[in-house]
Amino acid sequence: MRSLRRGRPVVAARRRMSAAFDAAVTTVAILAGLALSAFILVVAGVPAEELANEFIVNTLTDADNLRAVLAQAAPLAFVGVGAALAFRVRFWNLGLEGQMIAGSVAATAIALADVGPPVWRLFLMLVAAMAAGMAWALVPALLKLRLGVNEVISSLLLNYVALNFLLHLLYGSWKDPVDAFPHSPAFDPFERLPDLGWGLNAALPLVGAAAVFAAWLLGRSRAGFYMRFVHANPSVALAKGLPVAALVLTAVLLSGGYAALAGVCLSVGQEGRLTQAFFAGYGFSGILIAFLARNNALAAVVVAFLVAVLFVSGQSLQVFYQIPFAMVRLIEAIVIISAAASEFFLRYQVRWLR
Amino acid sequence: MTVTTAAPALALSGVSKRFDGFPALDGAHFSVREGEVHALLGENGAGKSSLMNVAAGLYLPDEGEVRVDGVVRRFSGPLEAAACRIGMVHQHYKLVRALSVAENVMLAAMAVESQSAAGDRSADKVGTTASRAALRTSYGSRLARIRALIDDHAARLGFSIDHRRAVHTLSVAEQQRVEILKALVTGARILILDEPTAVLTDEEATRLLQTMRTLAAAGAAVVLVTHRLRDVREHADRVTVMRAGRTVAECDPRATSTAELTELIVGAAAPAVTRKAAAPGVARLAIRNLTCRRHDGFEVLANLSLKVRSGEIYGVAGVGGNGQTELVEALLGIEPPVSGEVIIDGVGDIAMASPAARQSIGVAAIPADRYRLALAGTLPIADNYGVTRVASGAYGSVLWVDFRRMRQEAAAGVREFDVQGVRRIEQPAGLLSGGNAQKLVIAREFASAPWLVVAHSPSRGLDVRACADVQRRLIDAREAGAAVLLVSEDLEEVLLLADRIGVMSRGRLVAEFDAPVDRQRIGQAMVDHA
Repeated sequence: MRSLRRGRPVVAARRRMSAAFDAAVTTVAILAGLALSAFILVVAGVPAEELANEFIVNTLTDADNLRAVLAQAAPLAFVGVGAALAFRVRFWNLGLEGQMIAGSVAATAIALADVGPPVWRLFLMLVAAMAAGMAWALVPALLKLRLGVNEVISSLLLNYVALNFLLHLLYGSWKDPVDAFPHSPAFDPFERLPDLGWGLNAALPLVGAAAVFAAWLLGRSRAGFYMRFVHANPSVALAKGLPVAALVLTAVLLSGGYAALAGVCLSVGQEGRLTQAFFAGYGFSGILIAFLARNNALAAVVVAFLVAVLFVSGQSLQVFYQIPFAMVRLIEAIVIISAAASEFFLRYQVRWLR
Repeated sequence: MTVTTAAPALALSGVSKRFDGFPALDGAHFSVREGEVHALLGENGAGKSSLMNVAAGLYLPDEGEVRVDGVVRRFSGPLEAAACRIGMVHQHYKLVRALSVAENVMLAAMAVESQSAAGDRSADKVGTTASRAALRTSYGSRLARIRALIDDHAARLGFSIDHRRAVHTLSVAEQQRVEILKALVTGARILILDEPTAVLTDEEATRLLQTMRTLAAAGAAVVLVTHRLRDVREHADRVTVMRAGRTVAECDPRATSTAELTELIVGAAAPAVTRKAAAPGVARLAIRNLTCRRHDGFEVLANLSLKVRSGEIYGVAGVGGNGQTELVEALLGIEPPVSGEVIIDGVGDIAMASPAARQSIGVAAIPADRYRLALAGTLPIADNYGVTRVASGAYGSVLWVDFRRMRQEAAAGVREFDVQGVRRIEQPAGLLSGGNAQKLVIAREFASAPWLVVAHSPSRGLDVRACADVQRRLIDAREAGAAVLLVSEDLEEVLLLADRIGVMSRGRLVAEFDAPVDRQRIGQAMVDHA
């Protein structure tokens, strides 16, 4: 029993935890993740004294950069709130990108086929996008509810189905006849999200309304109250006779619809046409945002704004220091790993036993 | 190590163990010799499993000592016990379902070997190299060696088992054999089986017990933890009886009558309780020929029929694991039955209805497994209190839940039902102690006057005061005209509360009595048919 004499770390489950402790641990974890990211950036060639400048001062004080941040924040907030909706019913929707693609493909179809009068065109595109995103999310939801298929796998793999269908369209019948590039023809001006002045389009009020709706649904409606039980203890929810399947379906379909609107912000809002990679990386960002926001819809909007700051700073780092944009993904990953790892300290306490 | 032939293989003495202040073991003692099958008999909660968990190194006793071959041992984990050649087959098997039989056995063997190697290192330096060499052999050669050992032991015991099969493809009886082989291959000489016959058919049980005789004849010490008198009378050399954490007797099962053993198990008569005579009305709940099967086809409920009338408490007595959980879950709609009817007065047959479809019937449910079927531990007390009444519109509309009113009513309910330890109504329900969590469940279920109550072991694990409170609530409900079905593994509780008593054994209702009833007769029905 030599090991006993020397002492050893003992891990024990934490019995009680307070909200303040939770917030403190998460904050420390995120700061640790950012510090590690800063170290990597310095090693990659960004002068240490310039970091704060690049990340905070330049992005938030410069009007152009702030506009870019806000434009970037809208689709991020949509995917973030969408992910949070699904996570609230313990449905790990990894198919956010597939749902973004499905939504934008449907919106583009409406635009290219000139469905309905021009005044109604944009509205129809949005409705079609949401319907398509929901339909894409319905597949893994039904597979899970009816057959018990793990949604992590089914929703993730449907992303590839959506991507290849998108490429099929862009290299085939939807190829732009003007420049023969593999993207769709440009949308007409009335088919794009309208400008609200100051270089911002209608995506921002749209996402604001969507987030408030989600916050109401999760926090105030009877369905949201029931979802707490589905999330906290599914077997109790079933035993108490809550409509678990309907609740899961509602949340997942909304999640798919929100993801589709995130895609619309990018394709219909920013790019003005359907491109090959408008969605890339948003699925992961959505999960990160929902995770850091603890699946709270309004907090997700705030986190989305911070991630947008990271995105825009990453773009300027790319320009000024030739740092690859992949570095932004790396920072995202480090922050999420730090936050996830900190859960250990929330659940357990470590003591040194002699 | 000197082995004296006089010393028993395993001896526990003066063992006490408390859980959260509740004494599970109170100075219990037990010993088993080589070459005998020794039964450890007692009701649920008598402390049998706890005592054996102490022997197998799972629990560290608060007091008392464990001797193996006369040497005092202090196990800080099951591997240390295994290194002393003590093996335990738990009631819930500890197998990796995705792995094969051979891999499961090897996993256990590797752990025990490395533990023995560690023990050798501290004891003497000579054994070290050999043990280390054994640990260094390749995966393939180890597996081959384990397979040979499995086949060897299996042949000797008459088990037919394919060591390549994955554990999840095996039947319950086969998995049990894997557990036994696991213990034997790792060198167990003192083999403890916790309720081994509870999940087996009669033929399987008989074969297993014969196998244990074979093992004992070959020099092993076999401990049979059981509640079935028949197992004991036919297959054990000695029997130790436990009650309420204490060892009450040790005797020769062949020289003791069934009546004597029954009395030892259930104890002396409890004081009679005075209360109003039952005034039963119409049958609110009628169960007809209810049959449920486990996934592997085993019948956990067989043709069970009973009626509960308004204004009475119908007690279902029986030793745990005889279909009580399945009965309650079938009544709550969690596991639908294969056949049979559950007729609710004025509603009709609801046997196949989902819990959601049953919500409007208003059955007050007090399940045994609170955190699986009644409370979400991470959610606030208020949410847990309000969840059943939200649907009725008591706390606002579909669009807007009135959380303030829910909190107020929860606070009132918590006060009325004397739930202690509530500092804030928003605190997670999981922070309540067992008794108070149970009171919270009752506060919720009885918030509107209960009409039909289904309670499963409602006072299990509660302290005396909480226990009396919970039982008082059930009597109050009965006196207010509710029909109460009380399924309890605690005979004392059933005798205390029930107006009529049905005894369950192996998924059947084997006897029915009107209160007051002689506890001996119930005890006999509980163990005789088992």
